[in-house]
Amino acid sequence: MTARITVAWALVGVPLAYGVVETVRKAVTLFSG
Amino acid sequence: MVPSFLARERVVAGPGYSRWLIPPAALAVHLCIGQVYATSVYKTALVQHFDSSLTAVGVIFSIAIVMLGLSAAVAGTWVDTHGPRAAMAVAAVFWSTGFLVAAVGIGTGQLWLVYLGYGVIGGIGLGIGYISPVSTLIKWFPDRPGLATGMAIMGFGGGALIASPLSARLMALYDSSYDATDPASVPDGHAVMLLFVTLGLVYLCFMLFGAYTVRVPADDWKPEGWDPGEVAEKPLVTTASVSAANAIRTPQFWLLWVVLFCNVTAGIGILEQAAPMIQDFFRDGADSSVSAAAAAGFVGLLSIANMAGRFVWSSTSDVIGRKPIYLLYLGVGIALYVMLAVVGDESTLLFVLLAAVIISFYGGGFATVPAYLRDLFGTFQVGAIHGRLLTAWSAAGIAGPLIVNKFLDARGTPGELVAADYRPGLLTMVALLVVGLVANLLIRQVDSRFHEDSDRSDLEGVSA
Repeated sequence: MTARITVAWALVGVPLAYGVVETVRKAVTLFSG
Repeated sequence: MVPSFLARERVVAGPGYSRWLIPPAALAVHLCIGQVYATSVYKTALVQHFDSSLTAVGVIFSIAIVMLGLSAAVAGTWVDTHGPRAAMAVAAVFWSTGFLVAAVGIGTGQLWLVYLGYGVIGGIGLGIGYISPVSTLIKWFPDRPGLATGMAIMGFGGGALIASPLSARLMALYDSSYDATDPASVPDGHAVMLLFVTLGLVYLCFMLFGAYTVRVPADDWKPEGWDPGEVAEKPLVTTASVSAANAIRTPQFWLLWVVLFCNVTAGIGILEQAAPMIQDFFRDGADSSVSAAAAAGFVGLLSIANMAGRFVWSSTSDVIGRKPIYLLYLGVGIALYVMLAVVGDESTLLFVLLAAVIISFYGGGFATVPAYLRDLFGTFQVGAIHGRLLTAWSAAGIAGPLIVNKFLDARGTPGELVAADYRPGLLTMVALLVVGLVANLLIRQVDSRFHEDSDRSDLEGVSA
C-alpha cells in the first residue's frame, strides 16, 4: 500500500512541482526587473 | 444509470485501503480541470486564427464557467447518488471531448464549435469534476475536512500553473516559428489545434487514473482514534443530515451563497485585471515602472498565492472553525482592500503583498466552503449542496469583471489609467465584502425541522 500511495502522490506531485517552479521563475522577474 | 464497474457499491474500500490515496485521486481531476484558468496562453492565437475579437474569444471562458456552475448545481444529486468513480469518469469524458470538439472547431475555422466544445461540453466536465471528490474527501477525513478539501481544491488553482507553461512549450513544438519566450510571438491555429488534441488525451488518461484510484469508505469506517462525539461539541457543527432539497430552503444556505458570492466577486475583481492593474498603479505618464514581463510575473505570483491560500486557510479552518475563518477572509479582506485603494501606489512591494494576501483569501474561500457546508448540513448530500452553492461562483464570474470594467471604462482608456482610477472599483469591492461579512455573522445552526426524519426522531428520543 505504501508503494501505491507513493506512486499516486508522485503522479500528481511531479506535474504540480513543475508548474510551481515554472511560475516562480516567471514571478522572479517582478523583483529582478 | 451507469455501468456496474463505475457504480458506488463497486468502489467501497476494502480492509487495508489507505485514505491517503483519496487526495491524489482528487488532485488528478482538479489539476486537469484547473486548466480553465490558463486560457490566456492561446487567447491571442485564437483571435488571429478566427480573425475575431478578444471579447468573442473571451466568451469561450465565460461559457465554460457558467456551465461549471449550472452543471454542478444540476448534477450534484446524481454525483452523490452514483459515487465519485462514476462522476470522475463522466467528468473525464466531457472535459476531454470538449477539447477534441474544440480542436475540430479550430481546424475547420468554426468558432461556434469551440463554444460548443470547450465552453458547453467541457464546462459540464468542469462542473461535475469540481464537485466529484468533495463529498468523498469529507467522508474519508471527518476529523480534518478543511485539510482534505483544501488539498483537492488547491489542485484547481495548481492546474493553471501546469497548463500555462506546458501549453507554451507544446505550441512551440507544434509551430517552429513560435517563440514562447517572446511576448510578441503568436502561434498559428494549427499549433493550437494540436495542443487541444494533446491536452484532451492527456487529461482523459490522468482523470481516469483518479477515477480508478478513488474509493468510498465503508459505512462503519472511521479514522483510527477519532471520536465522532468531538464533532458535535464544536459550535455550528451538526451530526444531523439535511438533504439538498431542504438545504436550499434554509437561510443558512443563502447566507453562505452571499458570503461566497461577495468573496469571489472581490477576488475576481483583482485577478481579472492583475497585469494591467500593477502597471497602471505605478504609471508615470505613458510609461510604467513595472515592465510587461514583471506584470506577467505578478500574475504568476498571484496564482501561487491563490493555490497556497486554498490549502493553508482551509486547513487552518479545522483548528479555528469555519465561521471565524470567513470573518478573517472578509474582515481582514476589507482592511486590505482599503489599503490597496488608498496606499497601494506607495510601493510595489506593498502592492504585491496586499494583492497576494487578498488572493490567498479568495482561494481560501473556495476551499473552505465544502467543510462549512458539512458543518451546517452534515455529510448526507454535501456534494449536491456544494454543487448548488457554486451558482454563486457563476454569478460572481459575471459580476466581478463587470464592476471593475464598468468603472475603468468610465475613467479612461487602457494604457492611460492610473491608481486613482481603480479606487471606485476597489471601494465597491469593500462594500461587497461588508455585505459578505454581515451575512457570515448572521449564520446560525440549521433548524432541526430541516433535518432528515431519522435524525429528528433520534433527537426527539434524546431530548425525551
